[in-house]
Amino acid sequence: MSGHSNWPEWIYVAVVIALMAWVGAEAWEAERLVEHVPADAKTIIATGQQWFWTFEHEDGTKEIGELHVEVGKAYKFEVVSTDVNHSFNIHDYVVLIDAIPGRVNTVWFAPDKVGEHDIQCREYCGLIHYNMRGTLYVTEPTS
Amino acid sequence: MSQDNSQNFQRTSPARVGRMLAIMLGVCLIGGIIFFSMWDYWISEPPHVISVMAGDVDHSGPAEATGITITQNLSFLESADFRSLTFNALKDEPGVNPTIEMSVGDKIVFDVVNDGMSFHAFGVTKDTEGFAGIIPGSEIAAPTNPLKPGESGTSEFIAGEEGTYYYICTVPGHRDQGMVGEIVVSGSSGPAVAAAPTGVSHEFELDFIESADFRTLAFNALPGEEGNNPQIIVNSGDEVTITTNNAGMSFHAFGVVSNPDDFNSVIFDSAIAAATNPLKPGESGSTTFTAGAPGTYHYICTVPGHALQGMIGEFIVE
Amino acid sequence: MTLELQKPRPIWQIMFSTHHTDVGLLYLISSLTFLFLGGSLALGIRAELFLPGSQIIADSMTFNRIFTVHGTTLIFLFIIPFASAVGNYYVPIMVRYKDMAYPKLNAIAFWMIPPAGVLIWLGFADFTWYATPPYSIISAPGPAADMWIFGLKILGISSVLGALNFVVTILKCKHPDMSIGQIPLLAWSFLSSSLIIIVAIPTFAAALLMLLTDRLGVSGFFNPAMGGDPISYAHLFWFTFHPEVYVLVIPAIGMMYEIIPRFSRKPIYSYNSGIFAFVMLSIVGFSSWAHHMYATGMSFTEKTVFMVGTLAAVPASAMHVFNFVATMWNARIRFSTPMMWAVGGIALFFSAGAGGVVNSAMPLDFTTHDTYWVVGHFHLFVMGTIAFGSIGFLYYMFPYVTGRMYNETLGKIHFVLSFIGTVLVFFTQHVLGLYGMPRRIYDYPPIPEWIAMNQIASIGAMIIGISMAVFLANMIHSAGKGKLADTDDPFGLGGKYYYPFEAKNPSH
Repeated sequence: MSGHSNWPEWIYVAVVIALMAWVGAEAWEAERLVEHVPADAKTIIATGQQWFWTFEHEDGTKEIGELHVEVGKAYKFEVVSTDVNHSFNIHDYVVLIDAIPGRVNTVWFAPDKVGEHDIQCREYCGLIHYNMRGTLYVTEPTS
Repeated sequence: MSQDNSQNFQRTSPARVGRMLAIMLGVCLIGGIIFFSMWDYWISEPPHVISVMAGDVDHSGPAEATGITITQNLSFLESADFRSLTFNALKDEPGVNPTIEMSVGDKIVFDVVNDGMSFHAFGVTKDTEGFAGIIPGSEIAAPTNPLKPGESGTSEFIAGEEGTYYYICTVPGHRDQGMVGEIVVSGSSGPAVAAAPTGVSHEFELDFIESADFRTLAFNALPGEEGNNPQIIVNSGDEVTITTNNAGMSFHAFGVVSNPDDFNSVIFDSAIAAATNPLKPGESGSTTFTAGAPGTYHYICTVPGHALQGMIGEFIVE
Repeated sequence: MTLELQKPRPIWQIMFSTHHTDVGLLYLISSLTFLFLGGSLALGIRAELFLPGSQIIADSMTFNRIFTVHGTTLIFLFIIPFASAVGNYYVPIMVRYKDMAYPKLNAIAFWMIPPAGVLIWLGFADFTWYATPPYSIISAPGPAADMWIFGLKILGISSVLGALNFVVTILKCKHPDMSIGQIPLLAWSFLSSSLIIIVAIPTFAAALLMLLTDRLGVSGFFNPAMGGDPISYAHLFWFTFHPEVYVLVIPAIGMMYEIIPRFSRKPIYSYNSGIFAFVMLSIVGFSSWAHHMYATGMSFTEKTVFMVGTLAAVPASAMHVFNFVATMWNARIRFSTPMMWAVGGIALFFSAGAGGVVNSAMPLDFTTHDTYWVVGHFHLFVMGTIAFGSIGFLYYMFPYVTGRMYNETLGKIHFVLSFIGTVLVFFTQHVLGLYGMPRRIYDYPPIPEWIAMNQIASIGAMIIGISMAVFLANMIHSAGKGKLADTDDPFGLGGKYYYPFEAKNPSH
């Protein structure tokens, strides 16, 4: 049924495979860098529950619905949930990790500019998932 | 490949298409009626595993209301940033999450309305945290089928044993965000029944007074001074006469109430004047009544807000 | 071969028939009904999201129920049954056999669909079409959730029975003079997708049963409070449903393999590549499921493995695109309605795949996961490729099923409006996702860019809605009163590339 030469198809498939290999390699390298948590990152426990976020800093300070961090410092979130799946997301800093009851997931970031950003839940968790939001305040360092 | 199809070929006719459509439409209509009329039913029950996880179900079940009936109006409120949720008033405002005091055997009738913009539901539980263990009969709506803004409902709670109960919004998380209030149930040994008239009489005189800045109101003396809001203790069945004088510059009225937050819950027929027809400055009034069932009650100025501003004292019947 | 007789045939005869053309017709009518029902829900969703705040839906519970049933209906009650309709109609013809291998089982498999549909629609559960625990166990109210679970169980059984039927018919009942390398690519597509179903669906059937016992409190597979792990459900679910998306797309590509060569009046560029690509896709499709779970906290190695598995499937899909484009190259193409739909479908398939490569790259997925990017991406597949291919094939089948021609102008209007609408909705949603709007939300904060893009998407959806109304009118009117078609060559293509359309229905 194919009485003609196939070389255009072979070349095309080779190009596609090369492209996919390149995407894969770049992604692998980027993810490797992204997952390396700096040693001096301060830990913040982020707890998701229906339908709000609470945060606990290393020094015991607790915040509900708001998170205050300082510019230029690295923070490591330990994300937990008390009821159903949620997903902790600070979109502007591409912070995203699921909050799964029964386990602790980790993600880190280092904000580099003073400002306010939205925290949202990115995993369907029921009635008020749409409003399970918070605010991240990045402030100048106090010391 | 070509067939002699003019004879074998059968096509449909408009009439048949029309009939099929009519049947399908009929099925859709009947289905639609069933569907829309039962929309809420299908999401009305929580999964069975919840009761398995909660362990055994609950303490309560006194069933009978042998005491007084208290009416409690509650409304769900949210702060503008939706961070704090409360009953009746915003956080830190007076009247927020009112504490209800009652005795064993009393019944509270809750009238709850959703004055917020989100969804809420109501129930009474003995658990100190969480939203489980709701006492049957006290629930209004449910997290899966909540009260929408503007909607309201009623339920009741009869205290079977002493202790602290909590009335909460049963939507998960709302209690933690502030929608919880206490119900303090004090014991009574045996059913609280009014004793027969004892023939003993008491007379009390109470003055309505106000602070200069009108921020603080009280009976007899301002807070911190001696004699402020005196505690009255009588025995069940005693005859009590209370004379009140309006020594302030505003209007007041009087009553012994079962629920200090509800100026309408006047008991024992003890009212002097009323918020709608109060005592003017300098006027006096008095009332005589028989003390009823034992318990801890309060006497207040029944003008709305005055009890909250301090015009309240304990009226204990033993 | 056609809908009705001049000597009228009672409806009960069609309903209880086991002949493959009648069962095919039943699947067709049922799937189209659910297309319109599920599509109306989509219009409701887009109307609600036109602006922040409540538009036409009063509360978020209703909204959650609507999008759950929208997804469940269109996947399980439209796409799969529509493919079954086409398969039932054509597979026996393509392998030169008199009927499916098990005609009674075939009819039973169909009749499971209406009760399952009723269970799903009556309950209207709210836990999304994934039914992820712990929400679906401890938080989703019943009996809606349990009805959904039962409905899907029934649909799963129906799918597996249908798949068994196809596999046996194609492999064992084909004409003795026909080798497996000679059956049309549409038949190959049914063979591939049926084999995937047989391997993949039992996993989900197990997961559904576990979900049900967890809801009853009898077990704790996925409930952390009872010692279980919610992520194991995600693995079981996606192990089935990633291959399942290939089950959805492969028949539609097969349908395009019928349409494109025919309307290009040229044989397919490479029949063997088509077979190879179908088989590769079916196998490699099983190696990529956890790319849906990048955010659940998997280790770096796990994520890498699944990224490689995902990227490995791309060349196979790309081969199909090449095949189609190479077939159309230098051909005398007749752009009738079916061809327009097929070509539009290929273009959108390519865009969907390109966007998918972004998702598969681990760090990029953290930007797009569970946002409207994903919604746009998968809708370009299910609407842009599968629905377009299916609808195009429906136009193509129309003269053979009814003996009449549909109105060509209206068919083309339907295509143009749908294409514009699809691009407006789903391309915009990719950008909306990059701006951070999460999925499955009833309301959103009044961010100006979000509002603007939601409005564009809603307008696109309304355009699709209008086009579907045109479609419905065309189909109904033409079925009853359309111009009589020349069944040898209804599209006037020259008739050189057909295989005979003969199906002897014993009831006729």
